[in-house]
Amino acid sequence: MLVPVVPFALVLGLAIAESPLPNLVGWLGSSLIFGGSAQLTVVTLSAEGAGLAAVVAAGLVVQTRHFMYSAAFAPVFAGQPSWFRWLGPYFLIDQQFALTSLRVDDPPDSFRRYYLTVGLAFWVVWQATVALGLVVGPVVPGEWSLDFAVPLLFVGLLTAAIDSRPALVAAVAAGAVTWATLGVPNRLGIVLGAFAGIAAGVGASRR
Amino acid sequence: MTLSVVALVATVAVGIGTYAMRSSFIHALADRDLPPAVREALRYVAPSVMAALVVSLGFGGSAGVGWAEIAALSVGGVVGWRTRSLPLVLVAGMATLWALRAAL
Repeated sequence: MLVPVVPFALVLGLAIAESPLPNLVGWLGSSLIFGGSAQLTVVTLSAEGAGLAAVVAAGLVVQTRHFMYSAAFAPVFAGQPSWFRWLGPYFLIDQQFALTSLRVDDPPDSFRRYYLTVGLAFWVVWQATVALGLVVGPVVPGEWSLDFAVPLLFVGLLTAAIDSRPALVAAVAAGAVTWATLGVPNRLGIVLGAFAGIAAGVGASRR
Repeated sequence: MTLSVVALVATVAVGIGTYAMRSSFIHALADRDLPPAVREALRYVAPSVMAALVVSLGFGGSAGVGWAEIAALSVGGVVGWRTRSLPLVLVAGMATLWALRAAL
Protein backbone atom coordinates (compact mmCIF):
# COMPACT_ATOMS: atom_id res chain seq x y z
CA MET A 1 0.00 0.00 0.00
CA LEU A 2 2.86 2.36 0.74
CA VAL A 3 4.44 1.66 -2.65
CA PRO A 4 2.13 3.81 -4.82
CA VAL A 5 1.92 6.49 -2.12
CA VAL A 6 5.65 7.28 -2.22
CA PRO A 7 6.07 8.10 -5.94
CA PHE A 8 2.76 9.98 -5.90
CA ALA A 9 3.91 12.21 -3.03
CA LEU A 10 7.29 12.68 -4.71
CA VAL A 11 5.69 13.80 -7.98
CA LEU A 12 3.41 16.15 -6.05
CA GLY A 13 6.39 17.70 -4.26
CA LEU A 14 8.25 18.08 -7.58
CA ALA A 15 5.16 19.62 -9.21
CA ILE A 16 4.91 22.22 -6.45
CA ALA A 17 8.64 22.96 -6.62
CA GLU A 18 8.56 23.42 -10.41
CA SER A 19 5.35 25.49 -10.41
CA PRO A 20 5.39 29.27 -10.02
CA LEU A 21 3.45 28.84 -6.77
CA PRO A 22 5.09 29.43 -3.41
CA ASN A 23 6.16 26.24 -1.62
CA LEU A 24 4.13 27.39 1.39
CA VAL A 25 0.90 26.66 -0.53
CA GLY A 26 2.17 23.13 -1.16
CA TRP A 27 3.14 22.57 2.46
CA LEU A 28 -0.26 23.83 3.56
CA GLY A 29 -2.15 21.73 1.02
CA SER A 30 -0.48 18.42 1.80
CA SER A 31 -1.72 18.63 5.39
CA LEU A 32 -4.93 20.61 4.82
CA ILE A 33 -6.28 18.57 1.90
CA PHE A 34 -4.31 15.37 2.61
CA GLY A 35 -5.33 13.88 -0.73
CA GLY A 36 -2.93 13.51 -3.64
CA SER A 37 -5.24 13.66 -6.69
CA ALA A 38 -7.11 16.71 -5.41
CA GLN A 39 -3.99 18.60 -4.40
CA LEU A 40 -2.21 17.81 -7.68
CA THR A 41 -5.33 19.05 -9.48
CA VAL A 42 -5.33 22.30 -7.49
CA VAL A 43 -1.58 22.85 -7.96
CA THR A 44 -1.43 22.12 -11.70
CA LEU A 45 -4.63 23.99 -12.61
CA SER A 46 -3.79 27.12 -10.63
CA ALA A 47 -0.23 27.09 -12.00
CA GLU A 48 -1.75 27.00 -15.52
CA GLY A 49 -3.77 30.12 -14.75
CA ALA A 50 -7.18 28.51 -14.36
CA GLY A 51 -9.92 30.52 -12.67
CA LEU A 52 -10.68 30.05 -8.97
CA ALA A 53 -14.14 28.56 -9.62
CA ALA A 54 -12.74 25.92 -12.00
CA VAL A 55 -9.89 25.00 -9.63
CA VAL A 56 -12.17 24.60 -6.62
CA ALA A 57 -14.87 22.74 -8.59
CA ALA A 58 -12.37 20.32 -10.16
CA GLY A 59 -10.66 19.72 -6.80
CA LEU A 60 -13.97 19.04 -5.05
CA VAL A 61 -15.32 16.78 -7.82
CA VAL A 62 -12.14 14.68 -7.56
CA GLN A 63 -12.88 14.20 -3.86
CA THR A 64 -16.54 13.19 -4.09
CA ARG A 65 -15.58 9.51 -3.82
CA HIS A 66 -15.02 10.18 -0.13
CA PHE A 67 -18.79 10.25 0.36
CA MET A 68 -18.67 6.50 -0.32
CA TYR A 69 -15.97 5.90 2.28
CA SER A 70 -17.83 8.04 4.80
CA ALA A 71 -21.10 6.18 4.22
CA ALA A 72 -19.34 2.83 4.48
CA PHE A 73 -17.69 3.75 7.78
CA ALA A 74 -20.67 5.50 9.42
CA PRO A 75 -21.86 2.33 11.24
CA VAL A 76 -18.28 1.49 12.27
CA PHE A 77 -17.66 4.96 13.71
CA ALA A 78 -21.04 5.07 15.48
CA GLY A 79 -19.66 3.06 18.39
CA GLN A 80 -16.49 5.18 18.71
CA PRO A 81 -15.81 8.06 21.12
CA SER A 82 -16.56 11.58 19.98
CA TRP A 83 -12.89 12.71 19.61
CA PHE A 84 -12.22 9.80 17.28
CA ARG A 85 -15.32 10.57 15.21
CA TRP A 86 -13.90 14.07 14.65
CA LEU A 87 -10.26 13.09 14.10
CA GLY A 88 -10.79 9.85 12.16
CA PRO A 89 -12.31 11.27 8.94
CA TYR A 90 -9.24 13.46 8.43
CA PHE A 91 -7.14 10.34 7.75
CA LEU A 92 -9.69 8.72 5.43
CA ILE A 93 -7.61 8.59 2.22
CA ASP A 94 -8.09 5.85 -0.39
CA GLN A 95 -5.38 3.59 0.99
CA GLN A 96 -6.57 4.11 4.57
CA PHE A 97 -10.05 3.00 3.55
CA ALA A 98 -8.74 -0.02 1.67
CA LEU A 99 -6.61 -1.21 4.59
CA THR A 100 -8.84 -0.44 7.56
CA SER A 101 -12.09 -1.66 5.98
CA LEU A 102 -10.61 -5.15 6.36
CA ARG A 103 -10.65 -4.71 10.16
CA VAL A 104 -14.13 -3.29 10.80
CA ASP A 105 -15.21 -6.44 12.66
CA ASP A 106 -12.48 -5.98 15.29
CA PRO A 107 -13.53 -4.77 18.77
CA PRO A 108 -13.97 -0.94 18.72
CA ASP A 109 -10.83 -0.13 20.71
CA SER A 110 -8.57 -2.39 18.67
CA PHE A 111 -10.07 -1.06 15.41
CA ARG A 112 -9.40 2.46 16.69
CA ARG A 113 -5.76 1.66 17.51
CA TYR A 114 -5.22 0.05 14.12
CA TYR A 115 -6.93 2.93 12.28
CA LEU A 116 -4.84 5.58 14.04
CA THR A 117 -1.58 3.65 13.58
CA VAL A 118 -2.16 3.17 9.85
CA GLY A 119 -3.41 6.75 9.43
CA LEU A 120 -0.42 8.28 11.18
CA ALA A 121 1.99 6.09 9.20
CA PHE A 122 0.48 7.24 5.89
CA TRP A 123 0.43 10.84 7.09
CA VAL A 124 4.11 10.88 8.14
CA VAL A 125 5.31 9.12 4.97
CA TRP A 126 3.16 11.45 2.83
CA GLN A 127 4.39 14.69 4.42
CA ALA A 128 8.03 13.59 4.45
CA THR A 129 7.95 12.51 0.78
CA VAL A 130 6.19 15.68 -0.44
CA ALA A 131 8.85 17.66 1.44
CA LEU A 132 11.58 15.56 -0.21
CA GLY A 133 10.11 16.39 -3.63
CA LEU A 134 10.08 20.09 -2.75
CA VAL A 135 13.75 19.96 -1.78
CA VAL A 136 14.93 17.71 -4.64
CA GLY A 137 12.93 19.49 -7.37
CA PRO A 138 15.16 22.56 -7.76
CA VAL A 139 18.36 20.44 -7.60
CA VAL A 140 17.48 18.03 -10.43
CA PRO A 141 18.79 19.17 -13.86
CA GLY A 142 16.11 20.58 -16.16
CA GLU A 143 16.99 18.13 -18.97
CA TRP A 144 15.50 15.31 -16.89
CA SER A 145 12.07 16.92 -17.47
CA LEU A 146 10.72 15.60 -14.19
CA ASP A 147 7.72 17.90 -14.62
CA PHE A 148 6.57 15.43 -17.27
CA ALA A 149 5.84 13.03 -14.38
CA VAL A 150 2.66 15.05 -13.64
CA PRO A 151 0.75 14.28 -16.88
CA LEU A 152 2.11 10.70 -16.65
CA LEU A 153 0.69 10.37 -13.16
CA PHE A 154 -2.72 11.57 -14.36
CA VAL A 155 -2.56 9.02 -17.20
CA GLY A 156 -1.73 6.32 -14.63
CA LEU A 157 -4.68 7.38 -12.44
CA LEU A 158 -6.92 7.41 -15.52
CA THR A 159 -6.02 3.86 -16.58
CA ALA A 160 -6.42 2.65 -12.98
CA ALA A 161 -9.92 4.20 -12.88
CA ILE A 162 -11.11 2.48 -16.08
CA ASP A 163 -12.18 -0.80 -14.52
CA SER A 164 -15.37 -1.51 -16.47
CA ARG A 165 -17.06 -0.81 -19.79
CA PRO A 166 -19.24 2.05 -18.42
CA ALA A 167 -16.11 3.56 -16.85
CA LEU A 168 -14.46 3.49 -20.28
CA VAL A 169 -17.52 5.18 -21.79
CA ALA A 170 -17.37 7.80 -19.03
CA ALA A 171 -13.68 8.50 -19.71
CA VAL A 172 -14.15 8.80 -23.49
CA ALA A 173 -17.17 11.10 -23.11
CA ALA A 174 -15.40 13.27 -20.54
CA GLY A 175 -12.33 13.54 -22.75
CA ALA A 176 -14.38 14.40 -25.83
CA VAL A 177 -16.46 17.09 -24.09
CA THR A 178 -13.34 18.58 -22.50
CA TRP A 179 -11.69 18.63 -25.94
CA ALA A 180 -14.74 20.34 -27.46
CA THR A 181 -14.80 22.95 -24.68
CA LEU A 182 -11.09 23.78 -24.58
CA GLY A 183 -12.05 27.31 -25.65
CA VAL A 184 -14.17 27.92 -22.54
CA PRO A 185 -12.23 30.32 -20.33
CA ASN A 186 -10.62 29.46 -17.00
CA ARG A 187 -10.57 25.75 -17.83
CA LEU A 188 -14.18 25.33 -16.79
CA GLY A 189 -14.32 22.76 -19.61
CA ILE A 190 -12.83 20.27 -17.13
CA VAL A 191 -15.93 20.56 -14.97
CA LEU A 192 -18.25 20.31 -18.00
CA GLY A 193 -16.31 17.28 -19.27
CA ALA A 194 -16.40 15.59 -15.87
CA PHE A 195 -20.17 15.92 -15.52
CA ALA A 196 -20.72 14.74 -19.11
CA GLY A 197 -18.53 11.70 -18.36
CA ILE A 198 -20.42 10.84 -15.18
CA ALA A 199 -23.75 11.09 -17.04
CA ALA A 200 -22.42 8.92 -19.88
CA GLY A 201 -21.12 6.32 -17.42
CA VAL A 202 -24.49 6.10 -15.66
CA GLY A 203 -26.24 5.89 -19.06
CA ALA A 204 -23.92 3.12 -20.27
CA SER A 205 -24.41 1.09 -17.08
CA ARG A 206 -28.19 1.09 -17.50
CA ARG A 207 -28.08 -0.59 -20.90
CA MET B 1 -6.10 37.51 -8.70
CA THR B 2 -2.57 36.20 -8.88
CA LEU B 3 -1.83 32.50 -9.37
CA SER B 4 -0.68 32.18 -5.76
CA VAL B 5 -3.86 33.68 -4.32
CA VAL B 6 -6.00 31.35 -6.47
CA ALA B 7 -3.91 28.39 -5.31
CA LEU B 8 -4.10 29.41 -1.66
CA VAL B 9 -7.86 30.06 -1.60
CA ALA B 10 -8.52 26.87 -3.60
CA THR B 11 -6.32 24.81 -1.25
CA VAL B 12 -8.23 26.03 1.81
CA ALA B 13 -11.62 25.53 0.12
CA VAL B 14 -10.80 22.03 -1.18
CA GLY B 15 -9.28 21.13 2.22
CA ILE B 16 -12.46 22.12 4.07
CA GLY B 17 -14.63 20.44 1.44
CA THR B 18 -12.59 17.23 1.64
CA TYR B 19 -12.97 17.01 5.41
CA ALA B 20 -16.69 17.74 5.10
CA MET B 21 -17.09 14.87 2.61
CA ARG B 22 -14.99 12.45 4.64
CA SER B 23 -17.00 13.18 7.78
CA SER B 24 -20.43 13.70 6.15
CA PHE B 25 -22.03 10.35 6.93
CA ILE B 26 -20.00 9.81 10.09
CA HIS B 27 -21.49 12.98 11.60
CA ALA B 28 -24.54 14.58 10.05
CA LEU B 29 -26.01 11.72 8.09
CA ALA B 30 -25.13 8.86 10.44
CA ASP B 31 -28.47 7.05 10.13
CA ARG B 32 -28.75 7.39 6.37
CA ASP B 33 -27.10 5.74 3.40
CA LEU B 34 -26.21 7.02 -0.05
CA PRO B 35 -29.11 6.74 -2.51
CA PRO B 36 -28.29 3.98 -5.04
CA ALA B 37 -28.39 6.46 -7.94
CA VAL B 38 -25.78 8.67 -6.26
CA ARG B 39 -23.60 5.68 -5.44
CA GLU B 40 -23.80 4.64 -9.10
CA ALA B 41 -22.84 8.13 -10.29
CA LEU B 42 -19.87 8.31 -7.90
CA ARG B 43 -18.34 5.23 -9.56
CA TYR B 44 -17.77 7.24 -12.73
CA VAL B 45 -16.25 10.31 -11.07
CA ALA B 46 -12.65 9.06 -11.20
CA PRO B 47 -12.51 7.99 -14.88
CA SER B 48 -14.37 11.16 -15.95
CA VAL B 49 -12.31 13.66 -13.98
CA MET B 50 -8.98 12.03 -14.85
CA ALA B 51 -9.84 11.95 -18.58
CA ALA B 52 -10.94 15.61 -18.45
CA LEU B 53 -7.70 16.59 -16.68
CA VAL B 54 -5.47 14.67 -19.11
CA VAL B 55 -7.13 16.31 -22.14
CA SER B 56 -7.18 19.81 -20.66
CA LEU B 57 -3.61 19.72 -19.34
CA GLY B 58 -2.28 17.91 -22.41
CA PHE B 59 -3.89 19.99 -25.14
CA GLY B 60 -5.16 23.17 -23.50
CA GLY B 61 -1.81 24.70 -22.58
CA SER B 62 0.24 27.18 -24.51
CA ALA B 63 3.28 24.88 -24.62
CA GLY B 64 3.42 22.60 -27.66
CA VAL B 65 3.29 18.86 -27.14
CA GLY B 66 5.89 16.98 -29.18
CA TRP B 67 5.87 13.45 -30.54
CA ALA B 68 8.18 12.22 -27.79
CA GLU B 69 5.69 13.38 -25.15
CA ILE B 70 2.72 11.80 -26.93
CA ALA B 71 4.64 8.53 -27.32
CA ALA B 72 5.67 8.55 -23.66
CA LEU B 73 2.10 9.22 -22.48
CA SER B 74 0.85 6.39 -24.73
CA VAL B 75 3.42 3.98 -23.32
CA GLY B 76 2.38 5.08 -19.81
CA GLY B 77 -1.27 4.46 -20.71
CA VAL B 78 -0.60 0.95 -22.04
CA VAL B 79 1.54 0.06 -19.02
CA GLY B 80 -1.14 1.38 -16.66
CA TRP B 81 -3.85 -0.53 -18.47
CA ARG B 82 -1.87 -3.79 -18.35
CA THR B 83 -0.38 -3.52 -14.85
CA ARG B 84 -2.50 -0.97 -12.91
CA SER B 85 0.74 0.06 -11.22
CA LEU B 86 1.41 3.76 -10.76
CA PRO B 87 5.17 3.34 -10.15
CA LEU B 88 5.54 1.29 -13.36
CA VAL B 89 3.63 3.94 -15.35
CA LEU B 90 6.04 6.61 -14.12
CA VAL B 91 9.17 4.55 -14.79
CA ALA B 92 8.05 3.39 -18.26
CA GLY B 93 6.83 6.85 -19.33
CA MET B 94 9.94 8.71 -18.17
CA ALA B 95 12.24 6.07 -19.70
CA THR B 96 10.41 6.39 -23.04
CA LEU B 97 10.70 10.16 -22.99
CA TRP B 98 14.43 10.09 -22.20
CA ALA B 99 15.16 7.37 -24.78
CA LEU B 100 13.28 9.19 -27.57
CA ARG B 101 14.93 12.52 -26.77
CA ALA B 102 18.37 10.88 -26.78
CA ALA B 103 17.63 9.14 -30.09
CA LEU B 104 16.07 12.07 -31.95
